[in-house]
Amino acid sequence: MKSKRLKVSALLVLLAAWLAIAGYGYTQTRPSSSEKNQLTRVVIGYQKADPADISRQHGELVKKMKKAGYQVVFKEFQDGAALMTALKSGNINYARLGDTPPVVNQANGLDLVYIGAGASKEYGTGVLVKKNSGINTLADLKGKRIAYAKGTAAQFAIIQTLAKAGLALNDVKLVNMDQGAASVAFAKGSVDAWVTWDPYTATAQVQQNAKLLTNAKGLAKNRDFVVSTRSYATKHKAISKALIKYMGQDMAWARTHHTQLINMLSKTLKLSKPIIKLDVERRTYSMTPVTDAIVQEQQKIADVFYEQGLIKKKIQVKDALLK
Amino acid sequence: MDQTSESSAGKPRSFHVNWHNLLPWLIPVILILIWQLAATAGWVNSKLLPSPLAVVQDGVRLWQTGELPKNISISLYRATTGFVIGGLAGFVLGLANGLSKISWLLFDSTIQMLRNIPHLSLIPLVIILLGIGETAKISLVTIGVMFPIYINTFHGISSVDPNLIEMGKSYGLTKRQLFTKIIFPGALPTILVGVRYALGVMWTTLIVAETISSNSGIGYMASNAQEFMDMETVLLCIVIYALLGKVSDLIAKALEDLCLDWQTKGGAAND
Repeated sequence: MKSKRLKVSALLVLLAAWLAIAGYGYTQTRPSSSEKNQLTRVVIGYQKADPADISRQHGELVKKMKKAGYQVVFKEFQDGAALMTALKSGNINYARLGDTPPVVNQANGLDLVYIGAGASKEYGTGVLVKKNSGINTLADLKGKRIAYAKGTAAQFAIIQTLAKAGLALNDVKLVNMDQGAASVAFAKGSVDAWVTWDPYTATAQVQQNAKLLTNAKGLAKNRDFVVSTRSYATKHKAISKALIKYMGQDMAWARTHHTQLINMLSKTLKLSKPIIKLDVERRTYSMTPVTDAIVQEQQKIADVFYEQGLIKKKIQVKDALLK
Repeated sequence: MDQTSESSAGKPRSFHVNWHNLLPWLIPVILILIWQLAATAGWVNSKLLPSPLAVVQDGVRLWQTGELPKNISISLYRATTGFVIGGLAGFVLGLANGLSKISWLLFDSTIQMLRNIPHLSLIPLVIILLGIGETAKISLVTIGVMFPIYINTFHGISSVDPNLIEMGKSYGLTKRQLFTKIIFPGALPTILVGVRYALGVMWTTLIVAETISSNSGIGYMASNAQEFMDMETVLLCIVIYALLGKVSDLIAKALEDLCLDWQTKGGAAND
């Protein structure tokens, strides 16, 4: 009987501790500032360390938008697919994407519109190989196993790179992997090359004895884009305009405050400063409305993807602009 | 374990108890020792597989920044809420289907169809229907937990010895008494197996759920660390999952011991 009572009390203590911690967790999930106000809520979906994330951490965008009468809420996503689903279902109003997902999604019939475009990241995107791999020219890639992530900027970059080297897609073995898996596979030597972008490129260069065989200069711009759905953007032109203007101002800050930016990003990404420095210093930051030249770049992606059978429909990128 | 400790009194007893208490930890300890040895001896690249010590240090660092307590408590909240809702739903459905043929015909095949859908493939649907907030994450856990409890409750109730029920009827028990005295106690062991199993499912579903637009929770910590090859944190999360799994199993086992006390004593459940 005594041991039973002991067991009951031990169980109760354990359960109480469990519930207390869970209750504490519940209070953590509540928004910290429970200010109920008349501001219009604007939800932006982002991924780690992208221009929207820089704006979020810099904090200016939220303040300026608040003055303009909007409450900006940032939601972090782990991958572009979940971000697109959330945009489609109206859980977020704006999404920060790379250059390829908007093309693929437009071809899949999603009525998205481009709101703003970031700066080119062509110097940080490219093909990584191990320093001692014996791969020194693009032609050496023939017959090698190359990791890339389907439907991302890496896919367009590898198609363009191989075309430049005069290789066909089936001259190499392309392996579709997400960034985490590709990073491990590349480090372990299970793949010979990896097409990716910063900060992964910089991480591999600094930590994994890798060299950038070629960057994407002249091949793929790998810009960031802010997109929305047509139905939302049509009704909220003023919000879009303010958002791009203020994000542009945050990007101007990022251009001129490298030290602070490097500190900030190395903390959020938990990557060492040399990695972030390499990344930050070979790129630039901006956020502008989409120009004709940028539409042409995107059209090129759409055309190449259509030729390769990666999208089923021929699309006009300029249709995805708000008139 | 208890039986042996109670039956043997005197000096050999302490030896027995110690030995029996330590044995379950033997394999984990050996695994960790081999792991540490491999890391210090340089058999594995420490960038790819950091040593247990490095993992512990990472844990301490994350604890000090407040990140670890925050993420564990949030995960625990999501897991518990999902478990309570899913458990209740599974129990009620299992009860209804075990007791009523019509309910069984109506619900069972639908549940069986839904049961085997991988949770990962449900994510787009969950986002569309429930959004990206806490509701979506908790719902996914709820769905995961519901099925093992449902199946075990249903199985427990439908496999109660019909002779016992017959006997109860001949003793003139009312329907309610039949349930509380015979059917429910008879089904309880199987139901508790379901609870134990569901506690495991709860943690595995939570990792998946925490990849839906989140910036908190152990699952988020793990997938975020994986993305940037922060292997210390990846391994730390694995260890945390293992420990949380063990704690929940301990609770379930203690619950089992208490509820099923009457079985070993050979007496009837008294109320």
